[in-house]
Amino acid sequence: MSRDAFTAALRNTLKEIGNICPDVKCSFLFTTDGILVAGDAQADDTVMEKAVRLFQNVAENAAIIGGLNTFSIVGDNGRVYVSCANDMYLAMVTSKDADMPYLRSVTRVIIPTILKLLESIVPTPLKFVPSSQLVADNLSGFRSKITGDTVEIDHETLNQWSKLLNGRGVGEVEIEAFSGKQARCRVRAIEDSALEGKGLIRIPEKAFQALEVKKGELVRVKPIAH
Amino acid sequence: MPTKSEPQEQIQNLRHNLEDIKTREGVLGYILRASTSAAVDIKDPSKIIDYATLSATVLESGEKISNIFNLGEIKTILLEGADAKILSVIIGDRRLSIFMEKNVDHNTIYEDLNLT
Repeated sequence: MSRDAFTAALRNTLKEIGNICPDVKCSFLFTTDGILVAGDAQADDTVMEKAVRLFQNVAENAAIIGGLNTFSIVGDNGRVYVSCANDMYLAMVTSKDADMPYLRSVTRVIIPTILKLLESIVPTPLKFVPSSQLVADNLSGFRSKITGDTVEIDHETLNQWSKLLNGRGVGEVEIEAFSGKQARCRVRAIEDSALEGKGLIRIPEKAFQALEVKKGELVRVKPIAH
Repeated sequence: MPTKSEPQEQIQNLRHNLEDIKTREGVLGYILRASTSAAVDIKDPSKIIDYATLSATVLESGEKISNIFNLGEIKTILLEGADAKILSVIIGDRRLSIFMEKNVDHNTIYEDLNLT
């Protein structure tokens, strides 16, 4: 089972929880390392990643009370509830009148069961690699023509990703501009040593235009293993 | 028409209630922060720094998360760990965190703060 299928299974689970409990406005799952795994259709990627960083910050400081088991915020207009399930956290944003005991009992059963089921299908635990923010650089001219749709990234970044993917090479990357435009491209290491270590992603002209990015802008890049 | 002494009275009541709450079984202490001062009463002094850091993180992150998801004004923030839990509330410009053991009923503690 690929990571995509694993994520899709969890996304569908979150969708079903939303169907059972309409008070859930959005929900998402992230690892204890702070990596976003899956979110339902209502959840916006940028918002989720921002929230995950904040939850992670709380979790990192919670060792004195035995880690983060649950975290809830009750506001005038709604609630946020985070709970630990296996090696992941489930975050839910609900209306203020949500039936929390019911919701807790539903998620306490469904999420661990699905995670256990997926773990039994996947022979080795899937590693979720965090996306990186890199600076877009335009690969133009003759070089752009010979590279086709291949982007160039630092050796070091590729090596780090490879380590996180249990030594598997990174063949492709998913690039997302802050406008939301996405592209999937093949990847190789930057050959020009003068450009190494600058956190660049050199994108060929065609993909550069498709992503609607400008030189120097940050883009989110997610590795895809061979 | 609100009188000038009302907020002061509210703070006095809060301090009085906290004095009562801290003596209860399972309550580990509290941190009450204002913009220029702080009252710290933690039973185990070796944990003061860690508790203060956690309290600040919980409140700061809680407020940011509340803004991200449009939760409105925060009523309570509760963080539960395997060993203990922390209940945080925002009262005007004051930030209060009460630390307690897992088995303590935080809802009763909140009610006994008598914030309304």
